[in-house]
Amino acid sequence: MAEDDANRALEIIREFANIGAGNAATALASLLDMELVNEVTSCTLLPISEMAEWLGGEDQVVAGTYTQLCGDLRSGVLVVFPHESARTLVRHLSNEDTKLSDLSQIQTSAICEVGNICLCWYLVAVSKMIDTDLIPAPPGATVDLLGAVLDIPLATLGATVDHVIAVHTVFKGVDKVFEGYFLMLPENKMLETIMEKMGDSTG
Amino acid sequence: MTDAQLIGIAQYAVVKAPDNLCCLGLGSCVAVFLYDPNAKIGGVAHILLPKAPNGRSPDAKYADTGIRLLLTKLVERGADRRRVRAKLVGGAQMFKNLDISMSDIGKDNLAQSRKTLMEMGIRVVAQEVGGDRGRSAYFSMEDGMVTIKAAFSDELRI
Repeated sequence: MAEDDANRALEIIREFANIGAGNAATALASLLDMELVNEVTSCTLLPISEMAEWLGGEDQVVAGTYTQLCGDLRSGVLVVFPHESARTLVRHLSNEDTKLSDLSQIQTSAICEVGNICLCWYLVAVSKMIDTDLIPAPPGATVDLLGAVLDIPLATLGATVDHVIAVHTVFKGVDKVFEGYFLMLPENKMLETIMEKMGDSTG
Repeated sequence: MTDAQLIGIAQYAVVKAPDNLCCLGLGSCVAVFLYDPNAKIGGVAHILLPKAPNGRSPDAKYADTGIRLLLTKLVERGADRRRVRAKLVGGAQMFKNLDISMSDIGKDNLAQSRKTLMEMGIRVVAQEVGGDRGRSAYFSMEDGMVTIKAAFSDELRI
């Protein structure tokens, strides 16, 4: 991708990243019953091979929620909560300070559902900006090594996806902070559509 | 084994003792470890998918081509292929509920790896495969042992 294109892509990504993060913060504030503000600390367009490194390395335990879009525009969509953030969320949701290794099934479901909600609200932001319905398949979720979480997206999309749209958001409550990553793995046609339609709307 | 060389997805490597190898966060990926105990030469292929679309690939992305490539490099380095044994790690199913018309890639990776090894006449002497958990694997060239660490279970040696 030429430098001009990459810069333009980054501007477009920043736009929907901010809206998506705002959406997600509002939804999470309601789910978690707390005041929450968000800041998008960084967003970028990465080669797919650099995804694990950008997220901090394969060997860390994270909570990951993954799905693919159904329909004409194909893309993988992934939300990742790093270890400490996942613990913070579980502690808040279940009122128990549990290690990620000892999560009950209901706690795992809870953290995965938080990922699911975030994923959908970021998608809504993208969908509105490109004025196209994006329908995610029901997601799968797990708490495990990052490398293992990334295997399925890489195996199913590695042949048709070159770049990953990567967004890092920090959510801040009164006495709690947690961070999440939103990653979109668009097939080239999808990436072109995003660039085209968002490029029009942002001038 | 802190000095182990990290082999990422679709990569392969062959080393001799005292060097060591590792693969971190294997999910549906399969790490195929080959080892010649006399020469203390070993290698790993970090397999992502079962079959190369056109039967050719320059790296270790696919089981059918990657494992053959690894064995060739192992023999070039000085291993005797009659002594080479294999160990398999990985091939888990990470997202059980995810129904997007895709098969169990981990299972397919394992099946193709075993098939290719059998065709080459290489015996699988140990494995830690399947299930739904990710694994990191550390491969020692001193004794050919593979140490496996999963996210939430005790260390395992095969």
